Order: sequence, then structure tokens, then C-alpha cells
Amino acid sequence: MYLYDEIDRDMLADRASEFRGQVARRLSGEITEDQFKPLRLMNGLYLQLHAYMLRVSVPYGSLSPVQLRALAAVSRKYDKGYGHFTTRTNIQFHWIKLKDTPDILDELATVGLHAIQTSGNCIRNITADPYAGATADEVDDPRVWSEVLRQWSTFHPEFSFLPRKFKFAVTASPKDRTAAKAHDIGLVLRRNRDGVLGFEVMVGGGMGRTPHIASTIREHLPADHLLSYVEAVLRVYNRHGRRDNMYKARIKILVASLGIDEFRRQVDAVWALIEQGEIDLPPSELARIRAAFAPLNFESLPAISPTFEAERANNPALARFARNNLRPHKQPGYAIVEVSLKAPGATPGDATAEQMELIADLGERYSLGDVRVTHAQNLVLPHVKLDDLPAVHAALAAAKLATPNIDLVTDIIACPGLDYCALANARAISVAQDIGEKFTSPDKAELIGELKIKISGCINACGHHHVGHIGILGVDKKGEEFYQLTLGGSGAEDASLGEMLGPALAYDRVAGAVETLVDTYLSVRVGDERFLDTFRRVGVAPFKEAVYADAH
Amino acid sequence: MKALSANRLIDGDVVFWSNGSGVDQFSKAELFYDSAAQDAALEQAKSQFTTVVEPYLFDVAKQGGIFVPVSYRERLRALGPTNEPTHGKQAQGGHEIAALAKAVGGGHTSGRIDLLRKN
Repeated sequence: MYLYDEIDRDMLADRASEFRGQVARRLSGEITEDQFKPLRLMNGLYLQLHAYMLRVSVPYGSLSPVQLRALAAVSRKYDKGYGHFTTRTNIQFHWIKLKDTPDILDELATVGLHAIQTSGNCIRNITADPYAGATADEVDDPRVWSEVLRQWSTFHPEFSFLPRKFKFAVTASPKDRTAAKAHDIGLVLRRNRDGVLGFEVMVGGGMGRTPHIASTIREHLPADHLLSYVEAVLRVYNRHGRRDNMYKARIKILVASLGIDEFRRQVDAVWALIEQGEIDLPPSELARIRAAFAPLNFESLPAISPTFEAERANNPALARFARNNLRPHKQPGYAIVEVSLKAPGATPGDATAEQMELIADLGERYSLGDVRVTHAQNLVLPHVKLDDLPAVHAALAAAKLATPNIDLVTDIIACPGLDYCALANARAISVAQDIGEKFTSPDKAELIGELKIKISGCINACGHHHVGHIGILGVDKKGEEFYQLTLGGSGAEDASLGEMLGPALAYDRVAGAVETLVDTYLSVRVGDERFLDTFRRVGVAPFKEAVYADAH
Repeated sequence: MKALSANRLIDGDVVFWSNGSGVDQFSKAELFYDSAAQDAALEQAKSQFTTVVEPYLFDVAKQGGIFVPVSYRERLRALGPTNEPTHGKQAQGGHEIAALAKAVGGGHTSGRIDLLRKN
């Protein structure tokens, strides 16, 4: 894990101190709200529906137990005892007081946490594969490159006032767990036929009002040139992005209007003029960062644990958890453990202070001091010995953290929606809860298999509805909550945008419609097809007919 | 008929305007009948910029014998989040909160529209 050095720590302390002064000047009336708002937003502090919201950055979704405990402490001392993990792998506190914020930033700074790059038209928190350093299928550790990008982008003077916000995702695995193709820049690490490490660079993806799947601008950018090349991309965007219209200001609009070939030509022209040697990371610096993610001291263990196998055979709950929440680890005798924040009736992505502390303890004791946040609003213990799984499962279950539903119908992404967000049209959390009530049988959930439902309370798409197998978008119909359903989206390596099902549905019809969609899928699926596969084979017609049957 | 809402600067708490300052509960909100009174309240709230932030007017109408916000968003703001019934103003309970929670229907609100314009 990358640890901040003295310069980083001083910088965070200075930043918190600077904000303390800004808050004091705002409270005294020395500066107006119009002057203060950009300053508080640069420190992650939004004004939401009921209170201020503080968004704390979790760079590439990686947390130490000490950091997770600090977040728990903030939630208990300054909020209502919980935090909300987001689709950018950050954490938000929804009941923050302005007067407390400087103290909170001070406390976070002591453990290397901050709210930098969580708001504003800058390069936002960089997300990465939550299984980095643990999964067998990666060609390199994406955290190394995410940290490189973090250091390059933080306070980058040229890119602090872009036309609009800018999001990176980095993965090194053929199975994309980052929604890379839905990002402004998606980076996929690969080795070419000569074994040279490089990035497939994808650009112009995004959700919101005009969703786009990213286009590949470079099939294989030698990894050494990452910084100079993305600097060229950002420079073209910074110059030509539509600052005149915020709805057309994201890079996806520029790429779509120019076409990927012309955009590539312009980037290459800029790249040729850039002093690449001045910007690309020297090998010694890359080695320094890479050393922070050096392979851990895994024990040499047999691939099969008799302890775990015996427990699993006798404990159906553990067996179900193992089927759904464990992923293979690169090291024999270990597993990646997904911790679901989607218990029945829970708010997707919420964790109480006690739950955070428990996960921190488990991370320390059983996962080599490592905890991850996923873009699906769950947490991960990436390095758990198979022998320890029964104990970890029991501890999680006692804290309602062992719901065996990863990637299943009740593992729903939902933005805070109208319950908290000042921009939302409609609620998202309660829709997720209502859908959860329709699928209380874990047997049925397993029968249905992989099904990713994603809910956004407005067109800004924080809940990633465009790439949901079932996407649900809250819309405003004469001031009332209605929901537009889309089918067939995917944020994974087979990325696609969902197709509209039909006219928007009233709030109380949504959960029933999802149940109908699932029943329709089960009635027409062939073999072990996922919902997404069935949809792609049969199209929208049977689903539309089933949901709107009673309207005819 | 309109009422005025804002957030308190120091802690972000939702307030409703009454007799020249913010009060915690919608049931204590002053109602402004004509545009002159509405504009005056808005100007007054804007002038108190070290106390309240983002003031705006919203429509209210009589329902079941009491005045309630027409917009669901404004009722939700006067109550608290639906996923946490002990959070926000609804935690205080009482018949006024219960009546607000029972209100139905919806409408647009300048709270959201102004925000979208500003962004």
C-alpha cells in the first residue's frame, strides 16, 4: 500500500489549515457564498437536501484498516454514525456541519485521507480494479499506475479548471470490474506479442445525459509513455471542450463530434510536440511507486483447505456465501472476499461506524491490512486465507455483512437519489429496497444468476443506470416520481448502453415490473444464459410485452 | 401561496422563514400570500447571508385542512430521508409531521430548478 511521505502529509495539513481560514471568513461574512462555494467544493463539501455532504476520496478504492477506522470515527463524531460508499469508490457523509469540516479534514489528514479531487472540473478520484494485487488474471498491478496518475493529476495546474469533470479507470484484467468503457479515459493494461507492457487507451466514454461507450484511441500505448500521452489527450480536450454549454462539456461530446480518428490525429499532433521526457515518469520514480505495491508475504499453502471444506460441507450459509462472495486469488490457499453492503432492507453502499470498524479489524487480522471499495458499492477483503474463511464469514454474518448476493439481483447500485441529493428527480434507495423485497429467496436469486440492476435518481447517472442489465432512471413527470427502465446495458468488458423498455412507470409499479422482467427472462432463457445474454438474443419485445401487458 | 426555505449556513440544517429568521419546522413557516410579500421575504433571507444559504420560495397548498408543500421534494426536505425515519425533522414526530407525511401529489419547485440553472 502506498504511504504518504512527509511532503504529502505537510500538504494535507496545509490544505486543511487553508480551508479552516476559508470557513472562518465565510462565517464572518468576509466572503460571500458565491466566493466560498468553489472553495468548499474543492474540499469535497456540497450542500445537499438536508445538510452539507462531505465526500472523502478513496484513491483507487484502497483503504488501510487505520484509514477505515478513521472514517468510522468521523461518521460517529460528526455525522449520524454511518457513511455511504459511492460508485466512484469514495465515501460520503450526509449530515455534516460546516463548522466541523476543518476539524474533520484535520483528522482525516492524520491518516492520509482527504477530499481532494472529489468535486469540481478537475481529474477526479481514479478508480481501479478492486481485486488488484489479488486476482490471477491481471498482467500488472493497476494500483501502481493509478497512483502514478494520482500524483500527476493532483493539483495539476493545467487541468484544475477543465471544461468539465474528468474520470479515469484503470484495470489490468480482461474481466473489467471498473466500468472502464464508461469513463472519460479507460485504461486496460496488456502485454503485446513481444511481452511489452502497455495500455489500451479508451476515450470518450461516459454516462449522464448523453451516454457513450468509449472508443479505443490507442491499441497499445507503451506503459512508459502513459503520462505524456494522457497529457496530450487532456490538452486537446482542455482546448476544444465545450465550455459554453455544460451539457456538452464532457470529452465524450468532443470525441463524438470530431470522430475518434480526427480526435486521435489531434492528440498525436499535440503528443509529438510535448517534451515527453519531461513528463513521462523516470524509471527510478516508477520503481519507487511500484515498491509500495510489492507482492505481499503470502504463506505457501495448499490450494485446498480441509478446514474450510469441512466447514462448508456442514454450514449451508457458509457454502452459499462461498458460492457468491468469494473470488479466486492468485495465491493458492487464499481467496478474495466480497463484503456485501446490500443486506435486505439496507441502503445500498451504507456502512455503520461499527460495521466499518469490524471490517477494519478483519482486514487487519485476516487480509494483510488491506480493504477495497468497489464501484458496485461493496467492500472487499482481498487476501483471506481459506483456512480463515469460516471465522471471517461468522464475524461478517454477525454484523449483517455476509449477504451472499454479489452480482445477483439484490446487489443493486443506487445513488442517494431524492432522499439526499439536491439534484435528484426521484428516490433511488427505496426503489432498491422495494426490489429487494420481491427477491427475498436466496435460492431464487442464485437461480436467476448474474443480474446487475443500477438505479439513478436523475439523468446525471451516478447510479450507472445506462450500463445496468436493468437500468432504472428516476424522471420528473409533473413533479411526481416516475422511472424509465432500460435493458441490456453493461459496464463490463462487453460494455453496452441499455435500450429503453417503454413509457416511464409510476413509483409503485417499478419493483413489480422488475419482477415481471425477471420472470420473463426465466421463461425464455436457454441453458445458463445470464439475463444480459438472453436479452441480447431475444431483444426487448418479450420484456416490453410482459411489463406493459395490462396497459393494452 | 408560498413559503421560503434555506439551509442554515453554520450546520446546513433546513430552515423555514418566519418573522425575519429561520425556524426548524415547516409547521412554523410563515406563508406569503402575494408576490410583494414573497419577494420581500426572499430579499430579507438573501441579506442574512452569514446566517442562511441558498434561500428560495416554494408553493404550498391546503390539503386535509393544513398547508403542505405542493412538491414532493419540498415535503421530503421538511421531513427527512425516507430510508432513515429517525433522521431529519421527522424524528421529532407529532401530529404536524404525521400530517405532512400523509400529503400526496407533486409539483415542480424552484429549489431544484434554480439549482439546475445555477449549475
